[in-house]
Amino acid sequence: MKLERWLPWCAFAALAVFPLLAPALGLDFYVNFVRRALIFALAAASLNFILGFGGMAALGHMGFVGVGAYTLVALADAGHASAWLLWPAGAVAGGLVAAAIGSVALRTRGVYFIMITLAFAQMLYFAAVSLRAYGGDDGYNLMARPTFGLGLDSTHEPTFYWVVLALFGGVMALLNRATVSRFGHALMGIRDNEVRMQAMGYPVFRLRLADFALAGAAAGLAGALLVSHNSFVSPSVMHWTQSATLVVMVVIGGVGRRWGGPVGAAVWIGLEEIARQHTEYWHLPLGVLLVAIVFLAPRGIAGVLERRRRAAPAALAADGRPVEATP
Amino acid sequence: MSSLFQVDGLVKRFGALVATDHVSLAVSAGEVHALIGPNGAGKSTLVNLISGLVPADAGHIVLDGVNLTPLPMHARVRAGLSRCFQITSIFREATVMDNLLLAAQAHAGSSLRWLRDRRHEQPLADTAHALAERVGLLHELGRTAGTLPHGAQRKLDVALALAARPKLLLLDEPMAGMGPEDSERMTELIHRLKADMAILLIEHDMKAVFALADRISVLVYGRVLVSGSVDEIRGNPQVQAVYLGTEDTMAEAA
Repeated sequence: MKLERWLPWCAFAALAVFPLLAPALGLDFYVNFVRRALIFALAAASLNFILGFGGMAALGHMGFVGVGAYTLVALADAGHASAWLLWPAGAVAGGLVAAAIGSVALRTRGVYFIMITLAFAQMLYFAAVSLRAYGGDDGYNLMARPTFGLGLDSTHEPTFYWVVLALFGGVMALLNRATVSRFGHALMGIRDNEVRMQAMGYPVFRLRLADFALAGAAAGLAGALLVSHNSFVSPSVMHWTQSATLVVMVVIGGVGRRWGGPVGAAVWIGLEEIARQHTEYWHLPLGVLLVAIVFLAPRGIAGVLERRRRAAPAALAADGRPVEATP
Repeated sequence: MSSLFQVDGLVKRFGALVATDHVSLAVSAGEVHALIGPNGAGKSTLVNLISGLVPADAGHIVLDGVNLTPLPMHARVRAGLSRCFQITSIFREATVMDNLLLAAQAHAGSSLRWLRDRRHEQPLADTAHALAERVGLLHELGRTAGTLPHGAQRKLDVALALAARPKLLLLDEPMAGMGPEDSERMTELIHRLKADMAILLIEHDMKAVFALADRISVLVYGRVLVSGSVDEIRGNPQVQAVYLGTEDTMAEAA
């Protein structure tokens, strides 16, 4: 139980000091690399909030990331520079588009839901392709990174890294709080037994829509951060194969596990980098990993870690009280 | 007699099959109204229509002056109509306490609250305890629901429905799959519940039906064959012919 509580803090502390140690270790390049991984961890965590806790197999999540990214581009192109405006705008736009898409898609179930979310994401993709003003197919180069204010230098790479880390930590805290809230419990109830939830008086559609919009907002924020990080965005970010990769990250990390999204994103992006250094055919080893995870650890890596840690307190529960299962 | 709950001309067709054929029935306040009928008579379909799980093709459903017909299932629950399931419908992986908390939460403020840890909400825990006490599961709160014996799972199913504080409780074969001892206990439980709500009871266990019911309706081929007091139904030769079998089993059940 203790380790469970401290491990995320330890990881967070290690991530926080990394830019300070990196020059000494000759790992300067990896500061930006980890920053990108954090942004994808945020996107994966938001997808897990739909996929894992909401039980909705959505296959178009990068669409919302793209909406956040292009919202930032549109505002930056119009002359706005403050991150305080641009990033929340990305989140709000992601949430609104997710709510609009969800209000249609959530009327379907199963394979139809997968297909309709995929279809909407492709519509967003082609909409971005047709945006001539923002480069269309070729993408858009952001002239300058959004400014942070508060005396923070946005061009200083480690500073941007810490800002991303703080946002990531903040959003994870909110999402993790949501999973133990009334809302989270209701979502998981719907995932496990939808008819019973309706029969207990839950407005299932409304709750799912709120989940969808919330996850879309977090994804929109990730998109705004991603374009700030790359100083570039093109429609390919929202192509459905990107959404599929995000699903794979969540599956590897652990569907419905608290840290499943971030763990999966870190493992996937880390291994992708390693495999790329050795072979051009880096898809193959990662594909093998996915198959292995699905068969050997269907709860994902975070699920395996959680279970191992839970073994200890289980022995202590001598008073007959159950050991609390962490989602 | 003023009726609390009224079903009027309810129709449901599945293709050419008329599963529910202009069914009308009424339940008065404080009454247990039993619905009996042979297999395939359309009892479960009727329960699903009334609870809103399946939309009706025609007819009206009114509870305490509120027209439930256009309302979706969750809104009907809020209007005071709660149901149990023939096939036990609980959250098997969760503890009994978590099951009850989820039920309690549905009727105590919004479930859209997402920034507050539910463990800090004492009123919900109090409601959950009260529900457990009511159905006799107070000593099983920490247990994973799916590991409970069948009888206890059925009780939990009832407790989940009770959280809504319904005006009318729909019980879809609460004794299904139970041995005589569990049936007896469930009968006692329903008898106690009767003080607080009207009950529409679908049941095969005739002993329980005769012990609990104030009125009985007999459903055959989707139609209400006859509706009346326990004695009227017991003495009705038509009912005996289609459903209750010989007079011997009747005497036994009585």
